[in-house]
Amino acid sequence: MVAVTYRDTTEQVATDQVVRLSAGARLIRLIVAAAILALTLAGTVVSDDEAFPFGPPRMYATRADPDAPVSSTRVVGLTDDGAEVPLSGGEVGLRRAEFEGQVPRLVTNPELLGLLAATYADNHPDAESLQAVAIIVRRYELDDGVRTGAYVDDVLVTYPIPDPEDRP
Amino acid sequence: MSWVNRFAGWFFVPVPLARVAVFRLIAYLFIPVDVFVTTRWVAAHAGVPTEYYQPLLIGDWLSLPTPTTAVVDTVKWLLIGSALLAATGKAPRIWGTTTFLLYFEWMVIAMSYGKVDHDRYAFLVALAVLPTIGVARWRDKRRSEAAGFAVAVIFIAVMLTYFLAAWAKIRFGGWDWVNGSTLTRAVLRRGTDLSSWTLDVPGLLHVSQYLMIGFELLSPLMLLVLRDRARIALVIFLLGFHLMVFAGLRIIFLPHVVAILSILPWERLHRQRSSTEVIPRSDDLAAAAS
Repeated sequence: MVAVTYRDTTEQVATDQVVRLSAGARLIRLIVAAAILALTLAGTVVSDDEAFPFGPPRMYATRADPDAPVSSTRVVGLTDDGAEVPLSGGEVGLRRAEFEGQVPRLVTNPELLGLLAATYADNHPDAESLQAVAIIVRRYELDDGVRTGAYVDDVLVTYPIPDPEDRP
Repeated sequence: MSWVNRFAGWFFVPVPLARVAVFRLIAYLFIPVDVFVTTRWVAAHAGVPTEYYQPLLIGDWLSLPTPTTAVVDTVKWLLIGSALLAATGKAPRIWGTTTFLLYFEWMVIAMSYGKVDHDRYAFLVALAVLPTIGVARWRDKRRSEAAGFAVAVIFIAVMLTYFLAAWAKIRFGGWDWVNGSTLTRAVLRRGTDLSSWTLDVPGLLHVSQYLMIGFELLSPLMLLVLRDRARIALVIFLLGFHLMVFAGLRIIFLPHVVAILSILPWERLHRQRSSTEVIPRSDDLAAAAS
């Protein structure tokens, strides 16, 4: 049996009923849609991420200078022997981009970093305890938009974890 | 008919109820996938010190609760229960509305920690409008103006995600955004084996930036795609774009991709199986426009 498509159909059939909307139902829908559209457009034109869900979809909207270094931020814990433990890959429930969004606040209030040591210990009971938490920015060098392979690590802030005995 | 009526008419072109019944199932079943598999970091906020909570405007205005462990876990399980009930198609207005509200709160929990994602505007719009359709069954042969409105609005939201992304690039990056190194930066930070070679081809990522913003600025034209087959082609093109980005940058706009699926004529699945029946036409608008 050959499938019948609408192209083969010469006339409408009785089963093709349409459920209509009343004029009032249409009007309400159009008014609400227009309001949401207005908020969406206004959000993109004048507002920012804090206006979610009406903020501008600004993924990759910032122009990156072809000669400026590319920065990649990471938050790490430091153990007794100075080893780095990654904390910005979901180990304490926050993603790298979330840390990046809060960097200015964390630099001003580094004691917030201290809270992460406890969260890390809760999530990883068998892991070595952290002596300090630091924010490090790695800057990859670019030359006319092409990577040169060189990078430098820049420690923005280090917060030493107070000894348990010193805590109130 | 005046142009006002014709404009309004575009929103209410009847769409088969079977189409939205299929899409609705996909959208609601995606929610547990989103929560437990593809966007697990939202639930991880349950364990984050509340000092890291940075309320959005909407969180302030509505005095939404600070996401403590209890709040996050409660919203999560209510959302899952509501989405599964909504997926059954029973009492679609009630469970659709609770699912939209809970998912919205879930997104507030997601976006209030220093990073706002832009991958689910259209999905939120879809969850908001699905309850307005009412009862819709897979085998329903009727078409509905309410379904037409829902599908039209989701389509506009999908389009706006691209168009406003171009606007944001011009607003934040300036007209010279295309000559910056935004994509180089993205590949350096998130690149995969499938994309890191692009760093070594001079000009490739530069040209890609022109192509990207060009497509985004032209995206309103996609609303003129009316015929079923053309819409299928459009969906394949859009999904191809997102798969390419995923292969190269490990970023998949998955909720947005689910919203894109609303453009497809899902009712054809059923038609092709019941081949002996005479098929009602679903392309009024296409016929009217041609």
